[in-house]
Amino acid sequence: MIRTVDAVAALLVRDLRGFFRSRSQLYSSVFFPLMLLAILGTGVSEGLDPRNIDDYTTFLTPGMIAMTALFSSTFSSATYYQDRDSGILRVLFASPHSQRVILLGKTLSSVVIGVGQALIVLGVAAAVPAINFHWQYGVPQSIALTVLAVVLLNLFLSGLGQMLASRIRSMQGFHLVMNLVLFPFLFFSGAFFPLDQLPFWLKILGRINPLSYGVDLMQVSLYARDGSEGYFGVPLDLAVLAVLAAAVFYLGTSRRAGIEQ
Amino acid sequence: MGACYPARGPFTRTNVSAASTVTPVPSSNATAAAVDVRDVAYAYGDRQALDELSLSVPAGAIFGLLGPNGCGKSTLLSLLIGRRVAGAGEIRMLGDVLTPRRRERIGIVFQEPSLDPTMTVHETMRLQGRMFGVGRAATAERTARLLERVGLSDRATSMTSTLSGGMKRRLELARALLPEPELLLLDEPTLALDPESRQNLWEHLIEANAAGTTLLLATNDVHEAERYCQTVALMDQGRVVAQGTPAELKRGLRRDAVRVEWKDDPASDAATLRAWPGVGEVRLAGHSTHVTVDAASPFLTRLFSDAGDRVHGVTIEQSTLEDVYFQLVGKPISAATADGEGA
Repeated sequence: MIRTVDAVAALLVRDLRGFFRSRSQLYSSVFFPLMLLAILGTGVSEGLDPRNIDDYTTFLTPGMIAMTALFSSTFSSATYYQDRDSGILRVLFASPHSQRVILLGKTLSSVVIGVGQALIVLGVAAAVPAINFHWQYGVPQSIALTVLAVVLLNLFLSGLGQMLASRIRSMQGFHLVMNLVLFPFLFFSGAFFPLDQLPFWLKILGRINPLSYGVDLMQVSLYARDGSEGYFGVPLDLAVLAVLAAAVFYLGTSRRAGIEQ
Repeated sequence: MGACYPARGPFTRTNVSAASTVTPVPSSNATAAAVDVRDVAYAYGDRQALDELSLSVPAGAIFGLLGPNGCGKSTLLSLLIGRRVAGAGEIRMLGDVLTPRRRERIGIVFQEPSLDPTMTVHETMRLQGRMFGVGRAATAERTARLLERVGLSDRATSMTSTLSGGMKRRLELARALLPEPELLLLDEPTLALDPESRQNLWEHLIEANAAGTTLLLATNDVHEAERYCQTVALMDQGRVVAQGTPAELKRGLRRDAVRVEWKDDPASDAATLRAWPGVGEVRLAGHSTHVTVDAASPFLTRLFSDAGDRVHGVTIEQSTLEDVYFQLVGKPISAATADGEGA
């Protein structure tokens, strides 16, 4: 058991080191959502005057945090292909650990990187005067709920990324599939517009979208006020996220027969 | 140099756990073959890569799998390390069935490069130590010793992407040796290396073998197998067609091998040459003819007498395992077939 934990920790350290050495990935992953927040938040709220949304920039922030987790998990999962192509994955699979342990190490590193990036965006947003979080449960409780949402979202998304990466042979194919998954996830999650103001068919898509529950939970924690429970309600948000995170993370770290190139 | 690899007796080995205790190995396993393969079969779809293959690698040996690309060598190694599962047959590694835990006693150097370009030399070794449960102090000590031995001490902080091909190979070897494996699998380890690097790598391998590590080498380099391996298994189409020491395998062959280079097309066809006294196998390849003979001098006398004006050059060699292979299989090892074995 100790050996397994140490092996997972070694893989975690290795991936984190690789992430911090990749400056472009490090900076772009944090600056991109902040840039989008500034442009969309300012542009849309000033230029389009969105009705029925009080303070669009603040409303947008939970969605940008979710987007950070989404893109981060995709980039981190793509390192599977770098590891495969460099041959190091072959060496790791020849070590005295099951493939599940190796994939667990990789997926956990993806979770840690994603959570770290999302929390940086949260921290920066909280410091911006134009963004006014309402912290309706109190600051510590709201932060705790947001962190929980971020962790569950990253477990789900990293598991999903790893599951797809270990089953799709080419990195190009992986990115195509991830884009096919990512953008609907993002657009129908309530990140850019409130789900309750959408047409019926979009509400259905929002309801079956796992990301919606994460965005909803963070909007309840950061944006909502006056005792609002959000679109789905906190208990349902937590239940759906927890079940999906556990199931998909498990599948993402499962051994796959025919893992060869 | 000999002190670089600590000697191990057959009944003990260095435990690779953090606590550096010595664990006794059951005596029944101590005398077992390092690798025991019986009637193993493996297929890629409808292509049979291994076909009822059986072989036994004695503990402590340098054992060679010799055959052309696509004959099943790499597939066999991937079964031995657990990357693939045999369709039939039985494989026993170090006296027992392979489990992930058993792999801590087995090292491998892959045919393809297998270094992470974003890691330094030192980080590469440290990761190996942690993955194999080698304690921190032992990893540090062995890393220093092994890097010194393979001439990479001054590159410890270099990114692996900055190393030359030969350096990368030596690092891969040092990494494989860090857990002090009882069995080291080598898949064409000297492929694409220059002669000096090959020589250098083999010095390290021989030293590791002298310290007790069994080496199982997959190669299509006849000279490498003949020079370094105590036992060689010749493979063709997923089967072992012959096995023995190089001397045993060559027993019964003609003594000399003569390669005749013609100015244009060969002056004599294979059937004509075979009819000459003392001539064994005859192979034609473009403007050259390869002939095994009992003795080179009478053959050359007749050759120059009959067709001396058309001979461009002659090379006389001792018969090699290539000649054995040709005699058994009917084609040279160098006539590589499509691999298709996967990575």
